[in-house]
This record gives sequence, C-alpha cells and structure tokens, in this order.
Amino acid sequence: MMKSLSIVAEGPGRYIHWGVIQISVANLVIIVAMIILFVLALIVPFPSGHDEETDQERRQK
Amino acid sequence: MTTSTGAKSAAETTDPGNWTNRLRGRIEGLVPPGEALPDRQPIYVASWIYVFGVLTLSSLAVVILSGCVLAVGGVQWWHVSSLGHYVNSVHLWSVELFFGFMVIHLWGKFWMAAWRGKRAMTWVSGVLLFGISIGTSFTGFLSQTNFSAQWIAGEGKDGINSTGAGAFFNVLNPGQMLLWHVVLLPLVVVLIVLIHIIQVRRHGVVPPLDADLEG
Ligand code: HEM
Repeated sequence: MMKSLSIVAEGPGRYIHWGVIQISVANLVIIVAMIILFVLALIVPFPSGHDEETDQERRQK
Repeated sequence: MTTSTGAKSAAETTDPGNWTNRLRGRIEGLVPPGEALPDRQPIYVASWIYVFGVLTLSSLAVVILSGCVLAVGGVQWWHVSSLGHYVNSVHLWSVELFFGFMVIHLWGKFWMAAWRGKRAMTWVSGVLLFGISIGTSFTGFLSQTNFSAQWIAGEGKDGINSTGAGAFFNVLNPGQMLLWHVVLLPLVVVLIVLIHIIQVRRHGVVPPLDADLEG
C-alpha cells in the first residue's frame, strides 16, 4: 500500500513548457486553486449572525 | 511596615521605576484596553478575506503539534511506522495549508494596502514571517533522512556556502539542520507571530481604501 501511495509523490512529474516559463503541473494546479480561493474569499458573502439595525438597537438599550 | 495607611496598590507602595512596575506598564500598554481579544469588529471586517490570517495561525498550530509528536518518535520514526508516516503526512500537509493560507492572506493585505496608518511594522513582520517560514521548511526537507534530503543538501550547499553562511549553517550537516528546524527557527517564527498579532491588535483592522479617501 505504501508503494502505491509513494507513486503519487515520487513520479517523474509532468511539466508545462511555455517559452521561458517552465512549471510542473502540480505547482500550476496549486497556484490556480489558490487564485480561485482568493477570488471566492472576496465574492462569497460572509455569514453574519446579526444585521446592523439590530446592532444599533442593542446599543441604544 | 504599617497597616494604618489602609490598602495601597502595588504601584503606590513600590518604586514606580523598578523593573517589575515598568514591565507591567509595558505589557499593559501593548494593546489598548479591551483590544486584546475583542468580540466585535467594524462591519467591513465581515469578509472571508479576513479569515486567512487566523487560518494561517491555526495551521501553524497543527504544524507545531504534529512536529512535537514527530519529535517523540524521532527523526526516522516515519520510515518504519505507519503511525509515524501518518503523523509525518499531517505535518507536511498542514505546512502546505499554512503556506497556501499565508500567501492568500498576503495577497489580501497587499491589495488592501494594509500597511496604511502606522501599520508598516505589521507588514514588515509579515514579510519576515514569510522569509523565515521558507527557511524553516527548507531545514525540514533537509531533515527527512532520505535521498530527497540528501539531494536537496547537495544541490543547495554551494549556493549557501558562497554566501559565507556555511560557517554556522552547513546544509550537509543533518544534525545541525534538524536542530535549526525543530528549535531555533520555530522559536523565531512563534516570536514574530506574537509580535505580528500584537501589532494587529494594537492598531485595529485597517479601514478599507475607499473609507480612507472619504475620511
Ligand atoms: C505565520 C504567518 C502569518 C500569520 C500567522 C499571520 C496572522 C495574522 C492575523 C491573525 C491577522 C489579523 C487577521 C487578518 O486580518 O487576517 C494578520 C493581519 C495582518 N497580516 Fe498577517 N500573518 C502571517 C503572515 C503575514 C504575511 C506574510 C504578511 C505580508 C507580507 C502579513 C501581513 C499582515 C498585515 C499587513 C496585517 C494587518 C491588517 C490590518 O491591520 O488590517 N501577514 N496576520
């Protein structure tokens, strides 16, 4: 089982060659995933348990 | 000693200039009262991007805890035990998440210019954390006790020795690299994380760029 697992990590690795740019598929996938996560963090609404109005009401009390 | 003067605070009865009093003053003044662990934040903080600092912090906690378990088993434990292999994987993958979260955190802070308003030291301590974290994982890769570690050391030695650092940081010396990895560098990272977070709490979360223009 250890052997089948280690194939994932220790294969020769696939590379993308694009002019002067050379990047492994694994690294490219990670960078793209991070950019997607970054954009999602900006656009997905953040759940907040209370709205501003009730906040102000609470302060007035 | 007399008790007739009634209750006096420690600061009144002792020399205010002695080092205990001065240190207490320094610690109390680190962050404004109530700002150390606030339970409310301005409305603009209600965005997922502000969660990435804490995600970085949480993954660092998992990195350190799993590293401590690895230290119990020893540096070669993960080669001979499936439990050791599991803990090693927890350590590796929490490091991967740590770096991913840290870089997204960094992007967020860059695009909101979060160094505005006397927050430069927060940014600078972040830059230091980024650099030192890379050094810490480098020494981690050198401590794998396998051919990968040997190969990395062989590739890295000439570059690092050419800087002169080889005198006290010899990548071909696994014992030294392990100690840098498990003692010196983590201590520095944790210390700078503390400074970073005290800086954030001291100044409060930076207002958005457009709010700045209006103000
Ligand atoms: C070990 C790595 C790091 C940890 C644990 C960490 C943790 C945090 C936390 C918990 C916050 C407050 C919450 C938030 O705004 O996300 C924060 C804020 C901040 N971080 Fe980091 N951070 C790290 C690395 C970095 C790096 C690499 C940079 C940039 C080079 C950076 C720049 C900042 C700045 C400028 C703020 C202040 C934002 C403000 O005042 O509004 N941090 N950090």
